[in-house]
Amino acid sequence: MDVFGGLLGGFSVALTPINLLFGFLGAVIGTVIGILPGLGPLGTMALLLSLTYGFDPTAGMILFAGIYFGAMYGGSTTSILLNIPGEAASVVTVMEGYQMARRGRAGAALAVAAIGSFVAGTISLVGLSFLAPTLARAALKFGPAEYFTVAFVGLLIMTRLTGGRLTRSLMLIALGLALGTVGMETVAGYMRYTFGQPLLAQGIDFLPVAMGLFGISEVLITAEEQHQSVQMQKVGFRELWPTFEEWKRSMWPMIRGSFIGFFVGLVPGPSPVISTMVSYGVEKKLDKHGEFGKGAIEGVAGPEAANNASVGAAYVPLMALGIPFTPAMAVVMAVLLIHGINPGPLLMSQRPDLFWGVIASMYIGNFMLLVFNLPLVGVFASIIRTPLFVLMPTVMLLCLVGVYSVNNSMLDIWLMIGFGLLGYFLRRLRYDLAPLILAMVLGPMMERSFREAMMISRGDLMVFLTRPISATILAVGVLAMLGPFLFDRVGRAFARKP
Amino acid sequence: MKKLTPLLLPGALLLAGLVYQYMALKMPRGGIAMPGPGFYPMAVGVFLIVTALACLLQELRNPDTPRQAAPPLDEATPEGNRVGQTVRLTALMVGYILALKPLGYPVAIALFLLVATRIFGSKNWFVAVIFAGILTAASYFVFILWLKVPLPLGILDTVLE
Repeated sequence: MDVFGGLLGGFSVALTPINLLFGFLGAVIGTVIGILPGLGPLGTMALLLSLTYGFDPTAGMILFAGIYFGAMYGGSTTSILLNIPGEAASVVTVMEGYQMARRGRAGAALAVAAIGSFVAGTISLVGLSFLAPTLARAALKFGPAEYFTVAFVGLLIMTRLTGGRLTRSLMLIALGLALGTVGMETVAGYMRYTFGQPLLAQGIDFLPVAMGLFGISEVLITAEEQHQSVQMQKVGFRELWPTFEEWKRSMWPMIRGSFIGFFVGLVPGPSPVISTMVSYGVEKKLDKHGEFGKGAIEGVAGPEAANNASVGAAYVPLMALGIPFTPAMAVVMAVLLIHGINPGPLLMSQRPDLFWGVIASMYIGNFMLLVFNLPLVGVFASIIRTPLFVLMPTVMLLCLVGVYSVNNSMLDIWLMIGFGLLGYFLRRLRYDLAPLILAMVLGPMMERSFREAMMISRGDLMVFLTRPISATILAVGVLAMLGPFLFDRVGRAFARKP
Repeated sequence: MKKLTPLLLPGALLLAGLVYQYMALKMPRGGIAMPGPGFYPMAVGVFLIVTALACLLQELRNPDTPRQAAPPLDEATPEGNRVGQTVRLTALMVGYILALKPLGYPVAIALFLLVATRIFGSKNWFVAVIFAGILTAASYFVFILWLKVPLPLGILDTVLE
């Protein structure tokens, strides 16, 4: 099936009333949580994961795609109008967006952010439509050695990108890998680290871990931080039209941001956040007007395009290889696993309805977001006034009931609270949670691939270097790990020369 | 105490790593050509111990101070009270789990929501009771009647059945 044929089939799936409804719901929920500071797309998806158990997997995937894209749209609204980033990927937008609002150009900033997000979303979806099937076909040649190196190198690269100390990231990767070994071992059926608990035989379920680390920890941190009363800028519908000059200045930053976002999105790590920073840096360097820091429209257009483009790109490794490179994609993968569907290169041929249906629904969701986000910007922004005593107990209820509903297990609730406290301490100590959750998800796959590779090669460790794809992936990993260090050294050596 | 806080996690993980490794060493290891169930955990255990030790040493040499909670608008709120929120909420969740089977979901969640609403700043008991009541009823319809989640009904078993 070619890309266009696949997409046509996908639209026939995505345009069914139920899938349209889920796409719309996801877009609305995503916009709302993007606006609300604290609860991000990841926490929300973890929270709603248990509910997707009762849905068709395609509908669940469509819902989550809508949430992820919607959060990127919503995050910019409060950044521009209130100087409060709704979620991490909109922090950069605050710098220029709020300054524009103070100069009376809030409408133009919102319009450029929304249109930039739409343009970038569309470019990244075209990239996803073409790249994912190509990569999936190439991945059919992958053996256990390749899968092991992709996951191994992915984790290594992430340690360089998550920020903070390398030792901390490596320690959390080790913890995640260790947690991934709990349960019955697949080859010999040996029980590992279950402490006689039959419920742990299946391993530590992803749901209580994700809900605890991202949902409960968020609630605990929010409880400690006081809510601020906010003064919102009012924006009329007629003001939502940038001037010709603003259009001209935004066009190239949008396109550059889209490509930056897409390529950064393919790399493991918190890509939406990193892509906005890279795009902001690029636009600042190219600035000809000297307006950066005072409300440069390029500083809104570029980063807002970049964070949306990175979302589409993040789906590429998941849909093509079955390997999540971001925590959000790990939650999306869980939607498939709950229904017994293994994402990976065979997904496109075995479940084309799901593969193409989800991609097609992203196009529709992206358009929906543009259409209802701009006119309703005032309504959405007022959501930030929701009292904490309404929002947080509701989130806690969803966590407590949701986590129980999947396995009807009290152990899962205990685990969720335990991981919630762990997440709370880690965040208070400024640890990044991404290495922990991704290592936990990738760990079992890494072990299985390693053991299979060893059995096939009769214990020859050189198999990782002699197979061309595996060797190339390892070389990329080594470059990514040592590259910054070497460049730094070389740069300093040149700087010292008179 | 604040100086010790960053050391707690690597310290605890170092201990956990040692226990993890001890248990891994008791598992059948196999050989490199046919790795057994203990082979991979053994490697992970070594990785955990080494990284926890490295992190501990780095924190000792060059401590990274923990992130403080955002400064409260009400400056009179002391740090202890804000950390107290975490303790209260954790105790509330534990209380909910312990009450779930004997009292049943509707009663346990109603009490939970009532207290949680107060913890999150609702100053009016009437508002808290109304909100807890509405959310309990809504969640009962959605989760128990619609999605058929077998949540225990406890003391209301005979009435609601």
